[in-house]
Amino acid sequence: MADDKLEIINPPNALKQKVGIGGAGAVDLEALERAEQVIAGMTDSYLEWVVEDLKKIEQAYLALASARGDKKEEVKAVFQISHDIKGQGGSFGYDLMTAIGNELCRLIEKADKVGASEIAAIKLHIDALKLVITEDLKGNGGKEGEQMLSGLQKVCDKLLV
Amino acid sequence: MADYDISNLKFLVVDDDANMRQLIRTILGSLGVSAVEAAGGADQGYAMLGKFAADIAICDLRMDPLNGIDFARMVRTGDDSPNIYLPIIMLTGHAELTAVQQARDVGVHEFLTKPVAPAKLYKTIEGLIEKPRAFVRSKGYFGPDRRRRADPNFPGQERRRKV
Repeated sequence: MADDKLEIINPPNALKQKVGIGGAGAVDLEALERAEQVIAGMTDSYLEWVVEDLKKIEQAYLALASARGDKKEEVKAVFQISHDIKGQGGSFGYDLMTAIGNELCRLIEKADKVGASEIAAIKLHIDALKLVITEDLKGNGGKEGEQMLSGLQKVCDKLLV
Repeated sequence: MADYDISNLKFLVVDDDANMRQLIRTILGSLGVSAVEAAGGADQGYAMLGKFAADIAICDLRMDPLNGIDFARMVRTGDDSPNIYLPIIMLTGHAELTAVQQARDVGVHEFLTKPVAPAKLYKTIEGLIEKPRAFVRSKGYFGPDRRRRADPNFPGQERRRKV
């Protein structure tokens, strides 16, 4: 094959051969609604998971706050947990956890350095995440949630100029 | 959306977050799928494919030390890859555009943004069933065709040949 040539391959559609259409096992709107209910039923499990994650992120933050040097490993630890929190919240109706987690990830990813201001901002985000769970702020958290998120966004925007 | 019975499909879930693995397993279960294997890392997931003939892999983008891009690269180009055509759904967060571009360039089929919900996941699976993508092999790429539509106004030289 010459270097500039493209080869097009059509693999057999293995998926279509294995799925059925309709019938008792079909995923229709009712099945999707049932699935949503199953996930909603996992909320208690989620709250247990997130409480654990919040403990872990607090520990990771304390390690970061007392770290010296480039703090790369400590920042990475905080990022990893905030990334998990961000990924899970919305699936269980805690969209604000996802939104705040997203802001925290953005802050850590985009910050050129992690100095005192950035560490203080990370702490603000962690406290906000805890508040969402202790106050049980579901969805976007209403007015309180909107204000909280907008405040955090302003803090991030200021630091990320 | 078509009402497919996907209960015969086998899924491999690769995510370093145990809670996320459990969530996806539960969603798949609630959609009728029982054959789900899960791995906590890219290399572990790749190894699992040797003994578990997954029809679809759902893989997180951000993992450590090897990430979802590494997983896709191993599946597509690994000498011992059990299925180089394996459909891969990559789980991503928002604002990960650069990483998404990289994942696309190593042959990921679809992207699913977190948070994951049953309807979103089913729609992605449905897309894989209904619109199977041709594969392209070129000097620098092997994976599903990144052109989703034929472009009659494509200005470049047509380099494609069918086999």
